[in-house]
Amino acid sequence: MTGFVARRVLLAGPTLLGISLVAFLVLSVLPGDPIAARIDAGAPLSADAEARLRSELRLDRPVLVRYAAWLQAAAQGDLGHSLHDGRPVAGILREAAPWTLLLNLAALGAIYGVALPLGLLQARRPRSTWARLSEGGLILASVIPSFIAALLLQGLFALRLEWLPLAGTGEAGQGLAGPAGLLPHLVLPALCLALAGWGFATRYARGAFAEALPAASLAAARARGLRGPGLLKHFGLLLALPLVWLLGGIVPSLLSGSVIVEEAFDWPGLGRLMVHAVLGRDTPLAMALLLLSAAAVLAAQLLIDLLYPALDPRLRGTGAEAAHARD
Amino acid sequence: MSGRFLRAFGPVLLLGAALLAGCRRPAEAPGGRFVYSLQAEPTTLNFVAGSDLSSVLVERLVSDFLVDHDSSLAVVPRLAESWDFSDAGRTLTFHLREGVRFHDGVPLTSADVVFTYERIIDPKSKALGRLDGFLPVEHVAAPDPRTVVVTYREPYAPALRAWEVPILPAHRYRDADFEAAPENRAPVGAGPFRFVAWDAGRRIVLRRNDDYWGGRPSLDEFVFQFQPSLDTALMSLLSGDVDYAKLTPAAYATRREDRAFLSRYRVLTFTPLFFYYIAWRGDGSNPFFADPAVRRALGLALDRQGYVRSVLHGLGAPISSPFAQLLPAAETTMAAARFDPDEAARLLNAAGWKVERRGGLRTRGGRPFQFTLLVFAGSEDHVQFAQVAQDALARLGVEMRVERLDWPALYARLKSGAFEAALSGFNPTPDPDSLYGMLHSSQVGGQNYAAYRDPEVDRWLDAGRRTPDSPARLALYRRVEERTATTQPYACLFAPTVIGAINARFERAQTSPQGILGHVPGALSIRLAGDAGVPPTVAPGRTGEGSRGAGAGGG
Repeated sequence: MTGFVARRVLLAGPTLLGISLVAFLVLSVLPGDPIAARIDAGAPLSADAEARLRSELRLDRPVLVRYAAWLQAAAQGDLGHSLHDGRPVAGILREAAPWTLLLNLAALGAIYGVALPLGLLQARRPRSTWARLSEGGLILASVIPSFIAALLLQGLFALRLEWLPLAGTGEAGQGLAGPAGLLPHLVLPALCLALAGWGFATRYARGAFAEALPAASLAAARARGLRGPGLLKHFGLLLALPLVWLLGGIVPSLLSGSVIVEEAFDWPGLGRLMVHAVLGRDTPLAMALLLLSAAAVLAAQLLIDLLYPALDPRLRGTGAEAAHARD
Repeated sequence: MSGRFLRAFGPVLLLGAALLAGCRRPAEAPGGRFVYSLQAEPTTLNFVAGSDLSSVLVERLVSDFLVDHDSSLAVVPRLAESWDFSDAGRTLTFHLREGVRFHDGVPLTSADVVFTYERIIDPKSKALGRLDGFLPVEHVAAPDPRTVVVTYREPYAPALRAWEVPILPAHRYRDADFEAAPENRAPVGAGPFRFVAWDAGRRIVLRRNDDYWGGRPSLDEFVFQFQPSLDTALMSLLSGDVDYAKLTPAAYATRREDRAFLSRYRVLTFTPLFFYYIAWRGDGSNPFFADPAVRRALGLALDRQGYVRSVLHGLGAPISSPFAQLLPAAETTMAAARFDPDEAARLLNAAGWKVERRGGLRTRGGRPFQFTLLVFAGSEDHVQFAQVAQDALARLGVEMRVERLDWPALYARLKSGAFEAALSGFNPTPDPDSLYGMLHSSQVGGQNYAAYRDPEVDRWLDAGRRTPDSPARLALYRRVEERTATTQPYACLFAPTVIGAINARFERAQTSPQGILGHVPGALSIRLAGDAGVPPTVAPGRTGEGSRGAGAGGG
C-alpha cells in the first residue's frame, strides 16, 4: 500500500512536467503577441520602448530557453508576474481560488443532491413514469452547452422572474464574508455547472444502486429485521464505493466547466482568469492555471485510489491496481 | 391582483415600496457620492505602471500630476506651480508647490519626482506607456526639496507634456518589490481624493481629501463602478445606481428627443483625439499598396461621411489626416479624404488595374485585385466599417476579404508586417510629435505598420521633435501632413464621438476631449445641484503652450 502511494505520487511529478511542457509550447504557438496584454491599443509607443519591454520580459529568447527559465523559477515556487498587470501570479491565484472552490463545492453538492435520490428511484422503479421522465430530462439538460444554459437561466430567473441576481457576487463579496448575501449569487452559476453533470452522475448512481442493492439482498436484509438506519449501515459502505469513484469523473468536468460558467456569470474565480489569461496571451498566469487544474485532477484521482482500498477490503493487498482492473 | 386585494393592501404595499426605495438610496450626505460607470477595470494603481485609460482616470484623482492640462488641453500647473526652459530648450526646471502632502502626511518633495522618473526609465518597472517621453532625458536632479532640474540630450519639444505623470510616494516604494507593493492596489497619493477600497471586479471607492492643497473637493465620495457592458451601464444610470455613464450611439439616438430622459439627465458629448485608420502595407510585400496612387484610390472610395451619418447616427467626425485634430485643418488634406468613387476608378485605371469584363474584378498582369483587411473582432466599429468598406470596394471591382482577429493576434500581425491592409485605431497625445511612431522610417517594426519610408518626412519629424513650440514647428508638421495627404500611407477614417449622460442631481461637469474627468478641474468641478461651496483652486497656466488636444478617449 505504501509502495503504491509512493509510486503514484512520484508518477505525478513527471506527468505534471509533461503537461507543463506541452502547455508552454501550445501557448507559445498561439498566434498573438504577449506584449499585447501589456499595452493599450492605439497609444503612442516607440519601437525602442517596446524592445526594452520585450527584453525585460525575455520574450526575445527562444521558446525552450523561456520554458527552462519558467521551470527553474516554478520549481522554486516562483510562478512569476502576470504580463497584464504585473502582479505576482501566486497572489492572483490566492484571490481567485476560494471563489472557484466555493462554486465547485456548491455544484458538487447540487449534483449529488439530485443524482443520488433520482438514481435510487431509477434503480428501484426503472419503469415508473418519474424514472423515465427524470432520465430523459437530465440527459436533455446535460447536452445543452454551458453558455446557452447560462443565458437561459439568466433570462428566466434573473430577467423574467427577477428571483435571482443576473451575475457577479454582490455586495457581500469582500473576501468570502457575508455568506447570506452571497447565496443568491451562487445559485445560478452552481446550477449551470451542475446541469452538465446531472445526467452522467444519475446514470452512474443508478448503476451503482442496482448493483449494490439487488432486490433479493434487500429483501433478505429486511427479512432479518433491518430497518431505516440499520439498513443504511448495512449497505452504506457498498454504496459509498461507486460514489467516491464518481468524484473522479466529475472533478475534471467541473473544472473545465467553470471556465465558461464563471465567464458567463462574471464570477471572479480561476475559470474567468483562465479566459482572460489565454485571450491576453498572459503566459505566466495561464501556465499556473493549467498546472493547478492538472494537479487538482491528479489529486482527485489519487484520493480515489487511496479511498477505494480503504473502503473495500477485497481490494487491499493487491493495491488499487485491482480497482483499475474492475473498470 | 383583484381590486379588493389592492384596496385592502395597497397602502401597505406602497409603504413597503417606499421603505424599500428608502433603503436603496440612503440619504445623501452633503456634497454627495458620485458613481462613475467605467467599462474597463484599471490594471494597476501603481502610478508608473498603470498607464491605461482606466488606471489614469483613477490616478488623476488619487494623485495629482506634476503638470496637467485644462479642458482645452493647454498645459496647466499642478504639483509644479511653475516651470522654465533654459539652455536653448535643453533644460527644464520645475518649481514645486509648497505644503503638498501625501495622504499619509509625508510631504511631497523633489525627491519623489526624481524617484518617479527613475522608476519610469527602469525596464524592470515595465512602465511602457510612460517610457517614451523620458528616453531623451539625460539627467534629473533635485538641488533642493522644491526644485527639479531635467536635462535633455538635445532640445525636446514634447518635454513638458511628458511630465503629465502622477508622482509616486518614494517613502512607500523605495524598499518594496515594485510590482508587488501593496500600494499598487491601495495607492497613496497627494490628490483631491483618498483611496478607500478596490473591490476587485466591481468598484474602486475614493473619499474626499480634506487636506487637499487646492481646497476641499465638493464631492464627498467618488466611486468607479466597473461595468464592461454599456447596456448594464445604461440600466444602472436609469435606476440611479450610477450617476454618469456612456451611451452607445444607438441608445442616444432613441433618447435624444425623450423629454423625460432629458429632464433627469444631462447629455454631454466630446470627441477624443482617437481615430480609426486603415494601414496599407506599402513595402512591396503585396502587389497593390506600394503604389501611392492605388492607396489614394481606395481611400477615395470610402464614404466616411455616409458611414458616420448612417451607422454612427452622426456621432463622429470624418478624419482626413492623422493630424486632423492636432493642427488647424488644411485644404489639401481635406481634398484627399473626400468621397469620389469616379476619381478612384480613374486612378486605378491609370495605375494599370483595369476591369476586363463588366462586373468582374480589376486585374493587372493577370493578377486580380483581391486582398485581405485585418480587423479587431472585439470592436463593433472595426467590424461594421469593414463591412461597409467591403461593399464600396466591390463596386469598384476590388475584392476585399475581412479577417477578424483577437487583439494579441492582430497586434502580432501588425508588428511582423504579415498583412496587406489592417484596420486599427490610434490615440495621439495633443503634441503632433506623437505621430512620429506611425510615420518615421525608424519605426517600421514598431507602430509604422504601413512600413512608410520617406527621407524628407523623417527629417521634418526629427526637426519637429527638436524645435521648441513655435510657428516654425507647426510649419514642419504642416509639411508632413501635406506630404502624407498625397502619399496616403494610411487611410484615416473617423473619430467617434463619445456620449455621456450625467444625473441632473449633479452640475458643472465640464467636457474635454478626454471626457469629464481627464482634465483640470475635471472631478473637482462636479457638485450637487444647489451646493454653493467654494470653487476649487485652478491656478492659471503660466506658459503659452499650444492649446490643441490632449490624448486619449478617457472619461
